Amino acid sequence: MLVRVAQLVPMVAGLLLAVGTAGAAVGTAGADTGDARNGKAVYERWCIGCHGAEGNGQGESAQYMSPKPRDYREGTFKWRSTPSGSLPLDSDLEHTLLNGVYGTYMPSWRFLGEREREDVIAYIKTFAPRFASEQPQKPISIPPNPGYSDESVKRGAAIYQKYNCGQCHGAGGRGDGSSAQGLKDDWGNAIVPYDLTKGHIKCGDEPTDIYRVFMTGLSGTPMPAFADSISPADAWDLVHFIESLSPEYPKNVTAAR
Amino acid sequence: MNNRTSGMQCARRSFWLPAGLAVLGIAGSLAALPASADYAVVAVTNGGSIDGVVTLSGAAPAMPPIKVDKNPDYCGASIPDPTYTVGSSGGLANVIVYLKDVTKGKAGPSEPLALVNDHCMFSPRTQGAMVGEQIKVSSDDTVLHNTHLRFGQNNATIFNIALPFKGFSVTKPLPERPGLIDVKCDVHEWMRAWIMELDNPYYATTDADGHFTIADVPPGSYTLEIWHEAAGEKSQPVVVAAGKATKLKITVAAK
Repeated sequence: MLVRVAQLVPMVAGLLLAVGTAGAAVGTAGADTGDARNGKAVYERWCIGCHGAEGNGQGESAQYMSPKPRDYREGTFKWRSTPSGSLPLDSDLEHTLLNGVYGTYMPSWRFLGEREREDVIAYIKTFAPRFASEQPQKPISIPPNPGYSDESVKRGAAIYQKYNCGQCHGAGGRGDGSSAQGLKDDWGNAIVPYDLTKGHIKCGDEPTDIYRVFMTGLSGTPMPAFADSISPADAWDLVHFIESLSPEYPKNVTAAR
Repeated sequence: MNNRTSGMQCARRSFWLPAGLAVLGIAGSLAALPASADYAVVAVTNGGSIDGVVTLSGAAPAMPPIKVDKNPDYCGASIPDPTYTVGSSGGLANVIVYLKDVTKGKAGPSEPLALVNDHCMFSPRTQGAMVGEQIKVSSDDTVLHNTHLRFGQNNATIFNIALPFKGFSVTKPLPERPGLIDVKCDVHEWMRAWIMELDNPYYATTDADGHFTIADVPPGSYTLEIWHEAAGEKSQPVVVAAGKATKLKITVAAK
């Protein structure tokens, strides 16, 4: 016998409430705005070819791709504002949909419109049971950017060295450090440290995107979180140094930010 | 608008499966939640102990030393492979032993679990833990390490933190679910450790001579589980009598 959606919704809500009162859920984030039923249609139109009907990242086209499309089933996402290992916020997933992932097959989905993006996010979350039983942790706080300057870049270069970023990303940021060889992601696929001189950062080019990426790490990959070890002031210097590695950055920064 | 309407129609039939899964997920987590609540801490006044030794049958397989190709100036050119660490009397180190299905007994550890990045190896290599216990990860090394905890079953990341300096440490909770955790350092891929998360505190790890002791066990019949990173798993029944030490000799075969 099928349960109607109308009955199912209060059921799910009731269970969520039960989880909440049992003290398992922490934080208040994660209020769903999207509709997973509509999201399924969006997913089957645009996402299924790469991410697969089961959300396992093994759609028809996945075999031809590197890096591989995300496997959603464990709730492991690279780009998050939340600490290492945490589920992402809906706004983090929205961020990836808006920007796409530079240097990969994942395009920007800006054209879909906000409702469709919200709906497809709600649907993507149904692939990982974690989203039903867990809340994302509190996002890291990012203090205001003190501004790009030559002094900051210089200090950032020292931070880059002090924190051994070059061990994987190379002394010049080209992704050719001595530990760059043989790295694997959670799925056992080969993965390379990013070449920071490319001119675009995969998860977005805003200074806050760069800040967030090394502070929270990229879950599912070898890139660890530095939020426990790098101070916010040092982190901004490091952002400016990373920006300076590409000739395009300084002019972007002075023009717009 | 058109898109949304047709979307709803075509989605209607197949929505049941993911929705059902989500509900199952919630129900599952509710069932799993009291895992530690299923275990009641009580005063154990008449407890017995299990004193055992785990030995490897036959000679340990020859393991070539680990060839160090990352930071050899600090880590050294090679490191002995610790997979089969066998003492002079044949005892096997780093074996995790634990009792299954214990619902009440002694309290769990009060100090956080420790995991040290020590000369480009993890120390200890293996250990037991209570579900949701805190773990303190630290580094005694001057090179960059990352401590990357993953569920043993599917390698899904639990957390992955950078340890950039000597003396740096971070304390975080382990997940609220029992199971094997596989720890690696991606920077130095030979660095491995394992943590067996359990829902009761009756566990131990064998020392350099293969010895272990599990103390304050309420009298009764139990199943003892034995786990080694390469030799694999086995289990055997064990009876614990009040105030007595049960002596056990366990043999595992190398694989």
